[in-house]
Amino acid sequence: MATIVDIALKTPGFETLVAAVQAANLVETLQSEGPFTVFAPNDDAFAKLPPNTVNNLVQNPPQLGRILCYHVVSGLWDAAQLQTVSELVSVEGSPIPIRSHNPLEIKNATVLAEDVRASNGIIHVIDTVILMG
Amino acid sequence: MILTLLIGLPLLGALAVILFPATKAKLVALWGAGIPLIWNIWLFSQFDLGNSHFQWGESATWLPVLGLNYELGIDGLGLLMVALNTFLTWIAIYSARPDVDRPRLFYFLMLLTSSVISGAFLAQNFLLFFLFYEACLIPLYLLINIWGGERRSYAATKFLIYTAISGALILIGGFGLLWLGGAENFSYAALAKTSLPVQKQVLLLLPLAIGFGIKVPMVPLHTWLPDTYVAASTPVAIMLGGVLAKLGTYGLLRFGFSLLPDGWAVIAPWIAIWAAMTIIYCAFLAIVQRDIKRMVAYSSVSHMGYVLLGSAAGNDLSLSGCIAQMVAHGLVLAILFNLVGLIEAKVGSRELDQLNGLMNPVRGLPFVSATLLLGAMSSAGIPGLVSFAAEFAVFQGSYRVFHWQALMGVVGTGLTAVYFVILLNRTCFGRLDNQRAYFPKVSFNEKAPALILVTVIIALGVQPNWLFRWSEPREVKAIEIVPRNQQTVTLEDIGGLLLGSTEAPKIVD
Amino acid sequence: MTAPLPPSTHPHADVIHRLEAGGSMLPDTPENLMQIIGIYKAYAVPMDFYWRDLLYIGERVFLEPLPFFKYFLSKPYLDRHNTYAGDQSTLRVWRGRGEAHPELMEFIDKGVSGRRLPRLLHHLGHDRINMEFAEACMRSMFWHEDINPKFNAYLYTEAYKTAADKAIKAYFKGNIAMLGLYKLFPEMFLEQVRQRSYYANLGLFWEVMAPVFFEMSDIYDEGGFKGVPDAMEFLVNGIFAVAGRPIYHHVYIGDECFEIIPKSAGFTWLYEAALPYVEAIFYRTTPFRGTKSYDAQMQQVPRDQADFHYGILYADVFPVGSAGIPPTLLMHDMMRFLPPYLEEYYHQHCRGEDDQLIQLGITFQRSMYNVTSAVIQALRAALYYPLDDSNPEHLMANRRFFEAQMDRLTRSEARLRDIQTADYR
Repeated sequence: MATIVDIALKTPGFETLVAAVQAANLVETLQSEGPFTVFAPNDDAFAKLPPNTVNNLVQNPPQLGRILCYHVVSGLWDAAQLQTVSELVSVEGSPIPIRSHNPLEIKNATVLAEDVRASNGIIHVIDTVILMG
Repeated sequence: MILTLLIGLPLLGALAVILFPATKAKLVALWGAGIPLIWNIWLFSQFDLGNSHFQWGESATWLPVLGLNYELGIDGLGLLMVALNTFLTWIAIYSARPDVDRPRLFYFLMLLTSSVISGAFLAQNFLLFFLFYEACLIPLYLLINIWGGERRSYAATKFLIYTAISGALILIGGFGLLWLGGAENFSYAALAKTSLPVQKQVLLLLPLAIGFGIKVPMVPLHTWLPDTYVAASTPVAIMLGGVLAKLGTYGLLRFGFSLLPDGWAVIAPWIAIWAAMTIIYCAFLAIVQRDIKRMVAYSSVSHMGYVLLGSAAGNDLSLSGCIAQMVAHGLVLAILFNLVGLIEAKVGSRELDQLNGLMNPVRGLPFVSATLLLGAMSSAGIPGLVSFAAEFAVFQGSYRVFHWQALMGVVGTGLTAVYFVILLNRTCFGRLDNQRAYFPKVSFNEKAPALILVTVIIALGVQPNWLFRWSEPREVKAIEIVPRNQQTVTLEDIGGLLLGSTEAPKIVD
Repeated sequence: MTAPLPPSTHPHADVIHRLEAGGSMLPDTPENLMQIIGIYKAYAVPMDFYWRDLLYIGERVFLEPLPFFKYFLSKPYLDRHNTYAGDQSTLRVWRGRGEAHPELMEFIDKGVSGRRLPRLLHHLGHDRINMEFAEACMRSMFWHEDINPKFNAYLYTEAYKTAADKAIKAYFKGNIAMLGLYKLFPEMFLEQVRQRSYYANLGLFWEVMAPVFFEMSDIYDEGGFKGVPDAMEFLVNGIFAVAGRPIYHHVYIGDECFEIIPKSAGFTWLYEAALPYVEAIFYRTTPFRGTKSYDAQMQQVPRDQADFHYGILYADVFPVGSAGIPPTLLMHDMMRFLPPYLEEYYHQHCRGEDDQLIQLGITFQRSMYNVTSAVIQALRAALYYPLDDSNPEHLMANRRFFEAQMDRLTRSEARLRDIQTADYR
């Protein structure tokens, strides 16, 4: 079974995310054992950010890495389990509120595709880049 | 001519104001007040300090039938009073608003008032004094009634009624002097020659004391004053409080103390009690005021009490203090009224509850606040400022004679500090209100009167001798007048006099 | 956009509705726009000095025991290229030059007096930029440690202590007295290094803001902004664009660089500098000594640091003029670089030149309400929903966010109501 990174690489619409993960040197981490739950913003989500935001982040890998880590939660959280909690703690350290369960909304992002299984975790596709704070 | 000029020059100025266009009125009036001031300053240099008599006497027959002659003369007391008058007239005209209504009439009346008051201080004839004394009511009545603030016609009428009664009582006293003493005319010299028995002196002193007491004013004859001062515009208030009130104490010294020394000695303890009462009562009234102009008005009454206290004690030190206090009071009152007027003009309120934070260096009125603080400090008798020397001399002099009354006076200065701290704390300190604090700028011309007054207040405070030396010769003479031995007059004696008993009571040695 | 929400019942409902329509807390009038842009320009020039000197102190002066000359900026720091200006910049915010602003250079050279004197004389005559203001801001951020938890926690980690220890030892190499002191009181030295880290933090923050404000002034001069919301939008975009800028603290001793806080620690401009700055300086700060007496028994100074409310959004600008009050220091700095149109504007109002300091202080307050609006809108965009979201629940969440922000400005000291009118000057 493919890892989280492999799935992102294969699936169209995640080019920005993949580039970001590569720039932040997180490929290896996301290929490791895990398991992780990843909220993966698609290209449209990145496009919604104001101009230059991503460019500047890509030039600063540690900072980019921090934003990306905010999209990652350790452990396996499928859609059914997410229904039972109202907050998760990200790998970055900050909490991720789950504001709505139906439809499933992770902070200010709506989940577009649930429960994409990978060998080392689960991917949920979201429509907005979520930020700490 | 030397003294006639002091009366004539402001009068000429008044006429000049009428002749020049209205736009130039203030400038002309400043010259009209300034020339007599310069003349007056020059007179200081010519004054013979060794001479305790009236100097530069002038005399012309006018109506010998009535005993009215045009007689002028000046001594140290008169010199200081005329100087105060000419100086404060100039200051008052300077502090008038540039956009005053009907400027020509206003400045004409101001200069007329000044001229007439100078006349009263210079007169050497009781009737002449009385004419000047009464004549100043007319311009002042108009000044209050036309240019006053709220309730001005009420205040002007009250002022007129009270001072008219005051005039009537003084007239009674004056005629009594002539008839009972049998002097040939009303000139001071003639009046001084007569010797009245002490009971008659006391009897004559009663209408004089009440008459001048209204003018000073003394509690409970003071009720016209706060209304009048508050209703009057700033320059008029300066003339009223700074100069006119001095006519009252001047009259008491001239006619009571000098002409009726034996009677004065008898009523002096009562005068002292009266003075102490005025000091304390009006200080308390000032404490409870919410309107700063009214507060200053009550403060003025309270401080006139010191003048009376000094004159009652009647020794050389207290008299020096008393005369100095008349000048100091005029200067301090002028600066306080000037600043209160400025605050009202800029902030638009005189209410303690609405004023705040004027000490603010950029948006407040820092100069006004600072000078107000200085004026208040002087009034409260802080050393180094003019009132300190004057009040200190009054207390030290009068304490020898009247312990309790003098101590009451000392308490009064403490109370002065109380109400001025209230005033300063509310108006000058604290936070400037952001909603209201858009006051117009204070221009240099508006600052100048206070600046000049501050200079004089500090100069005379640091060097009080400049103030005291002029009145010394007069006191040398005054001490000769006051009998050394104590006399007592009982109520029965006075009652006997009033009932027409011909038997003269014995003088107790 | 038609808001399907009922009107807000908040005391600042009018402002909330304006924010929901994409506006600023500051009403959109040409006069307001002119004022805030003018003051941004006047602010940016001294700020150009502040950030350079803050970095100079953090990186070079470091632990100098007697830092008499810490405000004497060295030439390399004046010529240092701003990361966001000049032709060497990869993300060029300001189209102008990267070195210190020409007006600043002229001021350093000649001062207000216009006379070319030795720098020491300018300094002693106080004819200089008031760096004390920048240091007061730094101290405020340092003191309100709860608002920057991640950054602050890092200052107590082993990694930080080890790096600081190396730098301290290198800095005082051969200085037995200081090394002995360090041996005796290591915490004292560490605390000083932590403060230097905040110097660097604030310096890096302002390095961004200076070109942003310069650019805004240039755009305005070219007729680019149509209203206050445009100016706010520019700020919002600026905040996002540089959000990921690393916040770090490097110390240079000789030619060697000591990374006290390396870039790899992952601290970002938005989270570890901008947001704490807004909280510490715009909202909280500390009561300014000398302007007012506070009665502790009356609890006039809050028990809880989070309740402090002495920032520019609450400031009473009227008692200026007293020496040493940080906002007054800043106003003095800004007064020297006012654009002509703003100077003329002040001449026409209140007491003209005499109270220019207060007038520009209130303009500054207006402009900072606009910056705060930009921060609020940026946070709304980052954490909540677009203003034209079709989901009413999302709009309601936005409403609650705005209301929560406005709650902080309901206390009586807040100037939000004042700046709604043009008469507050």
